Parts: sequence; C-alpha cells; structure tokens
Amino acid sequence: MTAAPAIAVRQLSKTFGDGELAVHAVSNIDLDVATGEVVLVMGPSGSGKTTLLLMLGAMLRPTSGSVVVDGVDLATAPERRLPSLRATHLGFIFQDFNLLTALTALENVQLACNLAGTTGRAARDRATELLDRVGLAHRLGFRPDQLSGGEKQRVAIARALANNPTVLLADEPTANLDSGHGREIARLLRRLAEEDGRSIVMVSHDERLREVADRVLWLEDGAFRELAALATDPVCGMAVERDPAMHLQAEGQEWWFCSNACRADFAAHPDRYVDEKPAR
Amino acid sequence: MAGRVSLARRNLFQDRRRAVLAVSGVGASLVLVLVLNGIFAGAMRQVSAYMRNSPADVFVAQQDVRTMHMSQSALPPETVERVRDVEGVAWAEGLRYTNSIVDTGDSQRITYVFGYDVTTGRGGPRRLSAGQPPGEGEVLVDDVAADELGIDIGDTVTVMGAPFRVSGTSTDGTNIVNTTVYIHTEDFARLHSDSIAYVLVGAEPGVASDDLASLVAAALPETTVQTRAAFAREEANVVRDMAADVMKIMTVIGFLIALAVVGLTLFTATLAKLREYGVVKALGAGPSRLAMMVLAQAVWSVALGLGFAVVVAVALGGAIGALTPNVTVLIQPGSVLRTGTGALVVGGLAALLPLRRVLRVDPATAFRRSS
Repeated sequence: MTAAPAIAVRQLSKTFGDGELAVHAVSNIDLDVATGEVVLVMGPSGSGKTTLLLMLGAMLRPTSGSVVVDGVDLATAPERRLPSLRATHLGFIFQDFNLLTALTALENVQLACNLAGTTGRAARDRATELLDRVGLAHRLGFRPDQLSGGEKQRVAIARALANNPTVLLADEPTANLDSGHGREIARLLRRLAEEDGRSIVMVSHDERLREVADRVLWLEDGAFRELAALATDPVCGMAVERDPAMHLQAEGQEWWFCSNACRADFAAHPDRYVDEKPAR
Repeated sequence: MAGRVSLARRNLFQDRRRAVLAVSGVGASLVLVLVLNGIFAGAMRQVSAYMRNSPADVFVAQQDVRTMHMSQSALPPETVERVRDVEGVAWAEGLRYTNSIVDTGDSQRITYVFGYDVTTGRGGPRRLSAGQPPGEGEVLVDDVAADELGIDIGDTVTVMGAPFRVSGTSTDGTNIVNTTVYIHTEDFARLHSDSIAYVLVGAEPGVASDDLASLVAAALPETTVQTRAAFAREEANVVRDMAADVMKIMTVIGFLIALAVVGLTLFTATLAKLREYGVVKALGAGPSRLAMMVLAQAVWSVALGLGFAVVVAVALGGAIGALTPNVTVLIQPGSVLRTGTGALVVGGLAALLPLRRVLRVDPATAFRRSS
C-alpha cells in the first residue's frame, strides 16, 4: 500500500472569462507530489505557472477539478475556511520576499506563528528557532531593509515554516538573488524537504533549481508537456516544443526556436550560437 | 491581542513623520473640543460660584424664580421673619440683588449687585482679597474686574447710578459675561427698593438641607425654595442652555476634523501597505484579524491623540487663565472620558473606508511582482 501523496491534483482547470473571450490558463492537470518530494514547474511566461500555484495555495478557485492537501480539498472548501487552511497547512515563499517592512525578522516569523494559532513566548521561541535554522540567529532584530536579498529570502523561508506546513509553495524563490545566494536558497529548500519530509512545489525559470528538484515539469499553454520532447532554443536558451513551424536545419543538426525572431537571428549568424548552445 | 505581534502599531510608527502628523492632527482637533468644553465647564462653575460658596443651606426666591442669572426675584421684606419662624431654621437673612453696570468713568462692566448685611457677612463674598467690607457709600469690587478696569481701593466708581468709594476687593466673582459688586444693604434699599430678592436660610444642627427646604416650602407656598446645590445647579443650567447649541456645533466640528485627520491618515497608510495586507492575507489572516489590525491602528492614533490633547489642553487652560483671568478653563475627567469615547467612535468610523480596501485586497497580490 503506497502512502497518500501530500498534494493530489486531479483534472484541475482554470478558465478566465467565457465564450469567445475565455482564456484557459490551466487545463485538466493531474499531479501527485509525494511527501518530501521537490517538484520544479518550469515554463514560459503566461504558461499558467502562477495560476497553478495560486490554486495549490487556496488563493484562486479552480473552474473544475480538485486540489487535495493533507486530505482537504481546497477546491471545494468553504471560502471562509480558506484563510485558516492557508495559515495551518501551507507555507509560501515569494519572489519578492514580501517581508513586512515595519517588522523585524523575528516579528515577521512570529506573526506567521500567530496566524497559525501560536502566540506569546511559544511563538517567539518558535520564530527564534526557525531563524536559527536558516542561519539568521544573529539577525533577529533586523528589519528587512537592513538585510541582504539572500537573508530576506531566508527569513521568508523561516516564515513559511512557522506553521509547520506539509507543503511549501515557492514562486521564483531565487529570481531576485545573485547566483551564490540563489544556490544557497536552492540547497536550503532541498534540505527542508529531506530533513522535514516537506513537499515543495517551486515555480521558476531558474535552471539552477533543476539541481535540487526530484522532478521537473514543463507547463505550457496550461498543460504539462513531456520534458524529453522539448528542445532548447539556441538563441534565448528557452525550452521549446519541437514545433515544425519554428524549425531550422543547420550545421548538420536540427534546431528549434521559441519565435521567428530567434530563428531569424540564428539563421543570420549560426556560428554565434552553435558552439554555445547545442541542440538536445 | 496579548502575545501577538502588533502589526498595526508597528505600521503606524514605521513612518515617524506620518505618525507625528496623525497624532498631532487628531490631538489638535481634540484640543479644540476639550478646551471648548473646559471653557464651558469653567463658565458654569464661575456663574454658580456665589451659590456654591454661600453659607446658606436653602435659598428662598419669588415663586417660579430658580436662578439669579436671566431672572428677577422680589419678595416682601417680612418674608425673612416668616422664614425665621419655620421649624429647623437656625437663621434667615434677606439678600438684595439686581443687575447693573460698574462704571469707572473710563470703562464699565456689567455686574451683579448684591446688597447684604455686613454685620453677619452671610450674603457677602466668600473672602476679601484686600481692604474691608463696605460701609455705607462704599462698594466691594471683584479683584479680576478691578484689575481689568484699573480700579484701586479708595477710587470712586458708579453703581446703580450712584457714586461709591471702593473699600476692598473680593474673589471668584468675575466670569466671561459679568462681574460682581457688593454694597451695604441699606444703600441698596435706598437706591433700588426695600424689597429683597432672596432669603438665605441656615439649618439648625442635624437638619438636612432637603428637609429644611421642604419645611420652608410648606410654610411659604407662594415662594420657590431650593437647596444650595439645587440653586447652583439651576444657575449652571442657564449657561448650559444658552451655550448648548454653540458647544454642540463646535464639538461636532472638532470631531469632524478628527474624523478627517484619522480617516486620511489611515487611508493613506493603508494604501501604502495594501500589498503587505495582501501578503498577510495570503499567509492566512482572516477578515476579523485584518479588521482588528486596521481598527487597532485607528485606536492607537486616537489614544495617542487624546493623550496629546489632554496635555496641551491643560497647558492651554493654564495659559488662558493667566492671560484672561475672567475665563476659567476646567478640564474635567468626565469631559476627557466623553471626548475619548467620541474620538474612539470617530476612529472606528475613520477605519471603515481603509478596512473596506483591506478586506477587498486579493491575497494573490503577494504573487505579483512589485514594481
């Protein structure tokens, strides 16, 4: 008998608008995330990554389908229950860190403890312990404007752990960080999954996060694509479908592109790209 | 909210300049309310000072006359003897009283004129600040009015159309509207009439004022009999009734200014933090928690504004009293409590609009890139 997944998504869809103006941001997605698994969702801008994350985070109602976290279907839970579900079952890590600027690092984490129902000395102790765990014991009384980008994201991670969530949802967690801090954060997330058995779903463009992910999913036009079927645009580096319309044969190889512009650039100067970006 | 991080307070004080502006803005508008109420309370106290300081337990007046201000009482002189005959009366004394002008030749002021028996002193001032009680042809002038009009002991002033030599000065007899002079009762009878305005009555030991008032009222049904406290209260009510509308309007204006200041400050502070409220919402804050955050910010603004206002109003009251001695500003705990309650209501109202914005904020804003 296999353990129930931490997140079970079934036939999840989200459509904005209706009729001819309907936009299908996410279409019939199925996804299981096991306990302690790190899943990286990649895809071009507008592919539906954030919409998916919002639905996983109980911040957006799906048009259809289900999102079950810890046995609770977020898609059908009453609206008034959603804040407490977020406060007790989910942890969020944002691209912009989103720390509350009036509060110190300690208070930012403490506030999340309060929202999860822990108050007073217990909340303070928990916040201190979490900040210590992410290596910020010496920055407890610092406000966000006194912290570096990497430190801010570590505070945000400590805050996401305040309610001891089963699932961490991270939106571009390394996007605003330099490569050193980005790797540091990626490793920290990996450690949290391994040591605590937390399931982590990350949405990102950052290739560095592949290193720490157990699974990489490619989301495009609201649906998951087979990653193996994708190629890399030699001009911009994006993963692209092997679409014959955006195809070129040169230097004895097949090349695929995200747009006509990239294909034209490549066609004009293939020597600029061939050595650096071999087709996969 | 014990044991919880006070985001409201921290948000309010994060921008200290805005916090100072908000608190001082609210404070300034509440100062207006407190000082106006203080002037009003001071005027009520001043206008009833004569009654409150009188040794009489009961006052007898013409039927249906319940005050000195804005009324006229006339009783036959024999009323005093009839009162003396009532059981429980230790002493009774006639007091002559009218309104007039005290005129120095260069300046003048509206005044109450009391004609009293200087041998007992019961109808006279509470205390003399200088000089001696008036003999015939002499007058006691209140010290504040004496300063104001440049009157010294020995000067001659005109009262009720006759010249009087100033024999001394008394205290607590001048208010915004008028002052008080005391003359010999015989002078009063000669210049005005020998009728008396009120009878001051003292109770025998062990007789309560209310009981004495009932006994006198039963014996002299054609008069109006009041205890000292009731008489003082009625006098204060005259001022209250006269100024009530103005006071209400000014108080409402004060609160409206406070409403505007708190509302504007809260609204701008909330708009500036709207994204952060979205983050808090994303982290799991429900509507009631968010409402408490916004309301707490309003309560902090109002509470600090009120504290600031009380300090300034007390200081201002002292300064006003020193600069214009005929105005007394009385900042009473009851007034602070009423103003504080009103300010809290105002704070609650001011929080409504920002609260609406906060409750509507989409938690998904936390996922949008900040510019």
